[in-house]
Order: sequence, then C-alpha cells, then structure tokens
Amino acid sequence: MTRALILLALLCAPLPALAHKVIAGVFASGSAIEGEIGLSNGEMAAGVEVIVTGPDGTELGRALTDADGFFIFTPTQPVRHDFRANLGAGHVANVTMPAGEVAQILGVAAQTQSPAPTAPATGPATGAPVLASLSPAERQVIAQIVRDEMRPLRREIAAYRERNDLQTILGGLGYIAGLFGIGFYMAARRKLSS
Amino acid sequence: MHIVDGALSNPVVIGGAIASVGGIALGLRALDLDRIPTAGMLSASFFVASLIHVPIGPSSVHLILNGLAGLMLGWAAFPALFVGLLLQAVFFGFGGLTVLGVNAVNIAFPAVLAGLLIRPMIGRGTAVSGAIWGGIGGALAIALTTFMVAISLASSGDAFVPAAKLVFVAHIPVMVIEALLTGFAVLLARKVKPDLFFQSALA
Repeated sequence: MTRALILLALLCAPLPALAHKVIAGVFASGSAIEGEIGLSNGEMAAGVEVIVTGPDGTELGRALTDADGFFIFTPTQPVRHDFRANLGAGHVANVTMPAGEVAQILGVAAQTQSPAPTAPATGPATGAPVLASLSPAERQVIAQIVRDEMRPLRREIAAYRERNDLQTILGGLGYIAGLFGIGFYMAARRKLSS
Repeated sequence: MHIVDGALSNPVVIGGAIASVGGIALGLRALDLDRIPTAGMLSASFFVASLIHVPIGPSSVHLILNGLAGLMLGWAAFPALFVGLLLQAVFFGFGGLTVLGVNAVNIAFPAVLAGLLIRPMIGRGTAVSGAIWGGIGGALAIALTTFMVAISLASSGDAFVPAAKLVFVAHIPVMVIEALLTGFAVLLARKVKPDLFFQSALA
C-alpha cells in the first residue's frame, strides 16, 4: 500500500505546482521586449504561449517561452503592449509595457494622442554625454551584460517579495481569532437577550 | 487550487460571488454558539495549511484541509473557509479579491457536500471505521474541489477535459495526504471528544 502511494506520488512529480502566485515581468532588451514568466516558487513557465495585444485589444503577435520561462517579442508599433499567458489551472500571467517604453525600444517618440500615464520619465538625454564615446554596438553589449547580471537579482527580489514571514501568519491568525471572537460575542448576546 | 484574478470571465466571477453569499448566509445560520470556536479553529488551520508545502519531486503542493472543516462543521464550514480564503488573499496574495467568491464556492461547497454525505458515517461504528470514512471524506472534498476548479475554468473558455485532468492529477498527492490527516484527526476526535460528531449530526 505504502509502496503504491509512493509510486503514485512519484508519478505526479513533474507536474507544476498549482498553488503559487504567478510572477511575470517585461523589460527592454535592445530592439526587443524580453519577458519572464514563472511561479513564485522559482519554477519557470516553459513552452507557454504569450499573446500580445495592443491597447484596443487587437492582437499584435504571439511569443513562446523557452525552458527558463523567457520570451522575446519584437514590437513594431509604439503603443501599449499587454502580455497575457495562460499557465493552465487558473494561473494567468498579465503584464503591461507602457507605450513610452515600447517607443524607446523602437527609437521613436511615443504617439502623442495616446500618452501612457505610467511611462517613466526617463529622458534619453540623461546618460548620453557619458556614453558618447561608445558605439551603439558597444552599448548593446554592455546592456546585454548588465541584463544578464541583473537577472538573478531580479529573481531573488521577486522571491523575496513572495516570502511569507511569521509576522504575516501571526497577523492572519490574529484576525481569525478576532473575527470569530466578535461572532462569538454577538451570538452570546443574542442568546442572552432571548 | 486558488484561481487568480483575471483568469475567469465576468459571468463566472459574478456567479461565484452570488453563490458564495448564499453559502455564507446558510452557513451563518448553521453556526450556533457551540460551534463558533470549532469554526474559528478550522478557519485558522485552513489559513495556515496553505503554507505547508509538501515537496513532491521538483515541485510542491500545499494542503487545503477543506474536507476536515466540512466534516466537522457541515454548512458552517462555508463562512469559516471564506474567512480563511479572504485572509489568504489579503496576506499572502493567494487567489485574489475579485475571484474570492468563485474560490470560496470551489473550496467550501465540496467541503459542505463531503460533510453532508460522510458525516453520518463517521459517528457510526468503531473509531477506526469512523476514521476511514473521515479519510474518504477528506479525499472526496479535494477531488470535488479540483472538479469545481475545472468547471470554473471551462465555463471561462478553457477546454474542460485537459483542465480537469491537470488539476486532478496534480492534486492526487494532496488527496492522499489529506485523507491520512483527516482520518487521524477524526480518530483523535472520536477518542477525545466523541460527541463532536454525534452532536453535529443532529443539527
């Protein structure tokens, strides 16, 4: 019996955990948008189709994640990009890249008629004097290196944000005790008055 | 097990919210003075159980313990599990606030059903046979929950059979663990406080 149970448990091993939060992020990567989709336990979503839509809901394209949950999408229009991926079993990843960032990737100004409110105010001029001596190719290489160096950090931050510490758990238990205490009080009062 | 925000279509979310309000109302009516502490305890264990991740191979699943709540509380499990779910959504970010109703129905309704079907069996016979029925109830609640999750996803556009299969198969280990846990909990309760099940069968 125990052996059968262990066998059963082992058979289920490669399935994804269904009890975690979905973590998804998109960022500029040279002339493309790079994204990352995974679950909060560090498991990445491999081979998942990402559907990219514009602000009006029209489909701009699709991308497929690799074994590490990364996908690359090359934008063609400087509009807001909504990324949506269905990981199955009720897990859906939704990320948005504002028009300003997409426009920066494309190297054109954001469309004035649809200004993205969340677009960061990063003027292209800020870093320009320092980088003036670098060729665009060199900049690409540096950006690539920085991205690669940042990746584990970004993952760690995401994992850290998902951590449930003792304080949170005790807080939740306190709420439960309080709520049921109030319920008990009200029920007792009703019983006493009747 | 927890469906996240944005995975379901609006009619499903609204339907779930309405159904959960009905379930909570029925549950509150069944929640008499004697059962409030039990409900609080089970709500707290449900809240914490989701943090217990059982590593299985490279992956992990978490406990739900809705079967135990249903067996001990019947309809009163509905508000107890709802409170646990609400706090999980707020504190841990499991599920979400808009899908709270759907999640509550998916988790609490199977609990209530398992309670109504299995609870009469638990009070009967020896403590061991009661514990075995308890184990069956615990596994049944999880199985029904996976089925309900699959229905929710299917009515939002997913294909039913693959979704159901995925959720069900992934939760087989949870069913086994919860069957054991619920069985032992019933065994202990039958030995320490046997009136817990006889008394609740009357209500």
